Amino acid sequence: MTDYGHDLIFGSFVTPVSTPVQRPVELSVVSERAGLDVVSFQDHPYMPALQDTWTLLSYVAARTERIRFTGNVLNLPLRPPAVLARAAAGLDQLSGGRFEMGIGAGGFWDAIGAMGGQRLDPGDSVLALEEGIQIMRGLWDTSQPGGFSFDGEFYQVPNAKRGPAPAHAIPVRVGSYKPRMLRLTGRVGDGWLPTLKYLPEGITSLAWMNEHIDEGALAVGRKPTDVTRYLNIDGRFSQAAGGLFDGPPQQWAEQIADVALAYGISGFLLMSDDPADLELFGREVAPLTRELVAAERD
Amino acid sequence: MNALRDRGNYAHRLEFGVRAAAGDEYDAERSVRQAVLAEELGYDVVALADRPDTTGIDALTALGWIAARTSKIKLRADVLTPRDPALLARTIASLDHLSGGRAALVLGTAAGAGAAGEAVDVIRALWNTSRTGTVRYSGHFYRLSGAQPGSPAHQVPITVLGDDDRAAADLAGRKGDGWTASYPAELSLGDAAVVIDRAAELAGRDAREVRRELLIRGGLGVREGIFTGSPAEWVSDLLPLVVDHGVSGIVLDLTEVDADGKDLLTRFAQEVVPALKAGVDKVLPDGWQGRAVRSRAALARRAPGVDYDDVPADVAEVLEPGDPRYRRYRGGYLRGGTPGIVLRAETDDQVVEALAYARRHPHLPLARRSGGHGISGRSTNAGGIVIDVSGMNTIEVIDEATRRVRIGPGARWMDVAAALLPYGWALSSGDYGGVGVGGLATAGGIGYLSRAHGLTIDHLVGVRMVLADGSIVEANEVENPDLFWAVRGAGANFGIVTSFEFVVDVVGDVGYAELTHDASDTAGFLVDWGSVVEDAPRALTSFLVVSPARRGQPSYAQSRTMVDSGDPETVLAHLQPLADIAPLLAQQAQILPYAAVMANAADQDPRSAGEPVSRSGLLAHITPEFADAAARVLRGDAVYFFQIRSVGGAVSDVDPDATAYSNRAANFSVVAMGRDDASLDEAWAQLSPYFDGQYLSFDSSLRPGRLEDTWSPSTLARLRDLKAKYDPDIVFDDNFAVLPTTTEKDN
Repeated sequence: MTDYGHDLIFGSFVTPVSTPVQRPVELSVVSERAGLDVVSFQDHPYMPALQDTWTLLSYVAARTERIRFTGNVLNLPLRPPAVLARAAAGLDQLSGGRFEMGIGAGGFWDAIGAMGGQRLDPGDSVLALEEGIQIMRGLWDTSQPGGFSFDGEFYQVPNAKRGPAPAHAIPVRVGSYKPRMLRLTGRVGDGWLPTLKYLPEGITSLAWMNEHIDEGALAVGRKPTDVTRYLNIDGRFSQAAGGLFDGPPQQWAEQIADVALAYGISGFLLMSDDPADLELFGREVAPLTRELVAAERD
Repeated sequence: MNALRDRGNYAHRLEFGVRAAAGDEYDAERSVRQAVLAEELGYDVVALADRPDTTGIDALTALGWIAARTSKIKLRADVLTPRDPALLARTIASLDHLSGGRAALVLGTAAGAGAAGEAVDVIRALWNTSRTGTVRYSGHFYRLSGAQPGSPAHQVPITVLGDDDRAAADLAGRKGDGWTASYPAELSLGDAAVVIDRAAELAGRDAREVRRELLIRGGLGVREGIFTGSPAEWVSDLLPLVVDHGVSGIVLDLTEVDADGKDLLTRFAQEVVPALKAGVDKVLPDGWQGRAVRSRAALARRAPGVDYDDVPADVAEVLEPGDPRYRRYRGGYLRGGTPGIVLRAETDDQVVEALAYARRHPHLPLARRSGGHGISGRSTNAGGIVIDVSGMNTIEVIDEATRRVRIGPGARWMDVAAALLPYGWALSSGDYGGVGVGGLATAGGIGYLSRAHGLTIDHLVGVRMVLADGSIVEANEVENPDLFWAVRGAGANFGIVTSFEFVVDVVGDVGYAELTHDASDTAGFLVDWGSVVEDAPRALTSFLVVSPARRGQPSYAQSRTMVDSGDPETVLAHLQPLADIAPLLAQQAQILPYAAVMANAADQDPRSAGEPVSRSGLLAHITPEFADAAARVLRGDAVYFFQIRSVGGAVSDVDPDATAYSNRAANFSVVAMGRDDASLDEAWAQLSPYFDGQYLSFDSSLRPGRLEDTWSPSTLARLRDLKAKYDPDIVFDDNFAVLPTTTEKDN
């Protein structure tokens, strides 16, 4: 039972459907209007039913003013890290520092392979992700003199010019579930970004998953609090009280506060494409939860 | 070259573009400022050089941003160093959708023309959704093994960046939609043209399929050589390139200009472009606007018997089988089609022109298309002519006090509902927002508000239409009242309506429920549902789809029910008897605007193949005998879709002789869809004894006697007289065509 004490943030997880193409854009604007902190999109470039998430992020960034945005999570195997790093830094500049890097090692290897991407086994995909993150951070870091070189097993960057520098320190959040990937998250991640329904044993898995992240952080001399932990959640708003994330806003707030205080989750991203849900989440659930958590922390 | 010049110098439209700052040393926003300015100044295209090897703004990222900040200008990614073509295809397709069809792509040959050529193949293959299945590609540089295709919003041109590379010019000729190069360059324009034209010929293409574009740098001021000096000097530099070398794209390269280049951009647009266009107009037969050129591949797909050289010059768009946009109009939502030509008309006169063309082809089938959802009105054909009026889609309120609304035949019902919402009005149509106005509003219109407010045609107060002989007439209670009578139920027989005038209803928020019931006792359920609906207040209209038991799943019934009331208590009270009929498997009810219920259609190209097979019948009551027969039919495998819509109520208030609608006394409209005519007819024969009349829009049958099944003898006799008067040559022979005496010879 751990509370890492991070400020709470609330966000949306919007399906980047290709049709109607403006729908995810409208839902992003709704998210911003509802006072949410971040809007996010899954990234499956091999599925034409979904838009290209990168292009959508850029478009949404131009149509919003305040809200932060992130892939949830971007597919590293189909997005070469050096190109991604520069694209991200540029988007961060254009948007006034609102971009966040949610990244994952990839999972649907048949589909990735069909697009010409390289298939990796689970162990290699962990290593490749770590290399990818190092490359992104290396290219973003213009405070270092000279070019940036990286000679990894999966990625090579021979003496590239550093930059562009992003407008703010882009946090790197990793979508991870298994021990090795969780320790990597603790070792190099600024944040963790899993999805509730993929947790192996539901919400209680967060306890042991946190332990792996903490172990990874401590092993390299970082503090567990260096890693913020977000969670994509799904559920429904209803009049009657029900189970987890199934009930009126007050119940949602109480349950989210419990998860925040018991498992140290500080970011909650609602998986919904219903504007009414996003409005309720931003306008009612978020302030209620913040009050409850603040009261407990006092 | 002379031959080409005689054809109008490739005859491409002259376009102007800007290649905005990107790459090293530029702040991210400069390219955005330049793009926005270029749009304001009327440039056709803004290009961004994609250079992942540099630290400038990433071109594809910036284009996504620019797409959101502009509305007209084309957005082009000049991909100079190779990117993974599969991901690039996705990115550009998304950019094209988000920007409303404004994306364009240039590929460089830095990794060799071989790799670039494969990239073109990979991208085109991933964009091609006209073939079914996944994409496999095995090249030297790129591989796809079962990738899913996804098309852009429009045919995105792929241009090859040539510069001094003959291999690139050759690739452009073989596969490119265009060739672009810096000018001046070592490879002369004449030499490049020889390479491009020869490569095109060898690939079986027309040299005119490849646009030629130049990237130029310069400044206005003191004359120091080409592209310097005064605007007039620029024009004399540029004019020969256009006139003698067929250059049709001129892109100002600002990537090495200090600051924003605002002055150069502005003066070029305002002082050079108009003068150059005027100069070109004086010399070239097609002027700066050029003339569309069909590719050889497209010409090869032309259909026999269609006089493609005689197409009316003034219609909004002519689409042939080889044209990219053809697939959007070729078929319908329930039917595949392969028309020889689609004539898109957006004005009355264009409809007249298109119809005259059709009359010059009496040997070819003629289809009329508004939304493309027709079943009995086929909307398409094989090898014939389609007159498409989907572009006539305006919706205007002409008198707020009397709620009179004028709507074009191409408007879709979801757009109509959305347009009426701000006034607190609605016009009942059907149950699907993607259906077009033209077909439905000339046949009936059995919708979610039918029992409360009647059929769609019951709100019609007048039409303007083009008759078979090409005359444009008004029909209403005063002018041509006989025609106005006929249009409301059998309109397809008499012409093409180009404008409908309706009086619409005041409709606030409505209750809308989707209930799924256990229908294991199918017959019992049908009887109960029928009696509950008949007894329900008129505010309630319910549509029911019954699915038979399959693979261990019990039979279930899904109803969609609307209550014309925004009051939760009333809605609940009306719905409760329906909910109570049988155990509920799922339920959802909400109060929302009528327009929100109708906003249920995507804007996609139709993908259907084959022919729908459906039968319709109008029914007074769901008797136990009918229900038993229906349950029997559902247990068989001839029917895969079975729907009953409630009518009656306000529909029955209208005098049966007031319109050419089939049977107003019916309380239900029944439709079944099956796999083939023979098995469906056999199943349907068990139900037909119970029917009186049919809703013609839902019946695909061409069987003899179908006219007699639809209309009463007096109505049919009246329709025959009018058909003889208004369409004696049977130009309109589709969609329950009323032939003079018998339906026997109708197919």
